[in-house]
Amino acid sequence: MTRLKKFFLAALFVWFCLVIWGAFFYAPRAAGFKGESARIVFFHVPQAWVAVVAFCVNLVASIQYLRRRDLMDDIRAAASARLGLLFSVLATVSGSLFAKVMWGSFWNWDPREVSIAILLLIYAAYFALRQAVPDPERRGTLAAAYAILAFVTMPFLVFVVPRIYWSLHPDTIINVQGKIQMESRMFQVLMGSVLGFTGLFWWLYSLETRLARLRLFRDQRGE
Amino acid sequence: MTLEKLPGEIRSLSLLRESLTVLRKELVSELRSRVALSSVGLFALTTLIAVAYQIGPYRIHEQDRPHLHSALLWIILFFAASSGLPRVFVKEEDAHTAKTLRLAARPAAVFTGKLLFNLLLLLGLEAFLVPLFAVFMGFAVKNIGAFFLVLAAGGLGLAASSTTVAAIIARASGSSTLFVVLAVPLVLPMLVFLIQGTRMAATAADWTAALPALRAVLSLTGVTLVTSAFLFPVVWHD
Repeated sequence: MTRLKKFFLAALFVWFCLVIWGAFFYAPRAAGFKGESARIVFFHVPQAWVAVVAFCVNLVASIQYLRRRDLMDDIRAAASARLGLLFSVLATVSGSLFAKVMWGSFWNWDPREVSIAILLLIYAAYFALRQAVPDPERRGTLAAAYAILAFVTMPFLVFVVPRIYWSLHPDTIINVQGKIQMESRMFQVLMGSVLGFTGLFWWLYSLETRLARLRLFRDQRGE
Repeated sequence: MTLEKLPGEIRSLSLLRESLTVLRKELVSELRSRVALSSVGLFALTTLIAVAYQIGPYRIHEQDRPHLHSALLWIILFFAASSGLPRVFVKEEDAHTAKTLRLAARPAAVFTGKLLFNLLLLLGLEAFLVPLFAVFMGFAVKNIGAFFLVLAAGGLGLAASSTTVAAIIARASGSSTLFVVLAVPLVLPMLVFLIQGTRMAATAADWTAALPALRAVLSLTGVTLVTSAFLFPVVWHD
């Protein structure tokens, strides 16, 4: 491991300790929410943000694969989709915990809950497709085509469904009015957490792609 | 003179002719075997009978009817259609005719021809199922124009999504189980809008109620069509 990487990991650890401390002790209690339940926003929103970033990386890598036919792009697309799926599950679980405290039930079929459930299904189907194709090049092409087709439905899930149906979900940070409705210390912690989670995603993503590259190298040498 | 050197208008005319030829070939081969028609029709009929026998028109409260009827109608329509929609590409791979078709027609013509066939299949299914559903389930709509528009938009939207997915699964493994696994999450947002639009057409006589869902279906269909048109040559020639 290079010195720069070691420094990055140590900095990421310290940063997360600061974010956790800030989420519980620095940020004030939010008005209008039951007990301390609103503090979950410092973990829930960054998880959802990282899931969106991962799916965007998946889209870019899929387009690159179709342009260059380089198996490394397919590896990047699969790694980011896997992490996107993981962070979507984490965002769903943290959102469900909040829903249980606020509204008394883990799942309320709120439009945003439906949207994330469909998103989970889409990317689970992406991996079902990958498993069904043994040839790596054909797998890359078909998975990239499906990923691009799936990505275009995302704006409808994220922006259109919650606007057509009435939602229990608190107003999002980037809302219709385009105003940030959050106390400044809470906003600082939230942005710190978003940065920390993005760093965590980047570290996991580089681990995944390195591992897959080594596997590819081993398979090619084996042939 | 090669095709690329022809003026734009003549090229698009020839593309239209090619697409219609692909559609004609699909219709002739379907009328010969009638596999898709009979599987879709029978699936729709058996599901409708099972649902109508268990639920019928009177086991749902009057105020819940538009909501439940709209959801049941689109679930039966989509799952019945999914038994026939993937066949357009799977049968080419099974019969080893895909290579000939690749040589005979341009990808855009193949995609348009197969899309039109799936659209006709869906519209035919709607024409067959909706009157029966209305009779067996006591389903009534207040805005018939909006309801027909929702049905037409739904047919086009479902055909657009499922034709590309059919091309993908035909190149993957050809299994119809994989078609359902891949297509259901993609069409779920559209089904949500279609159910909402049908419910609005069933409950309100004015057009403004069904318009937001109709707009959402049409824009999602447009985006899917444009993306599919770009992706299809890649999938078809992988």
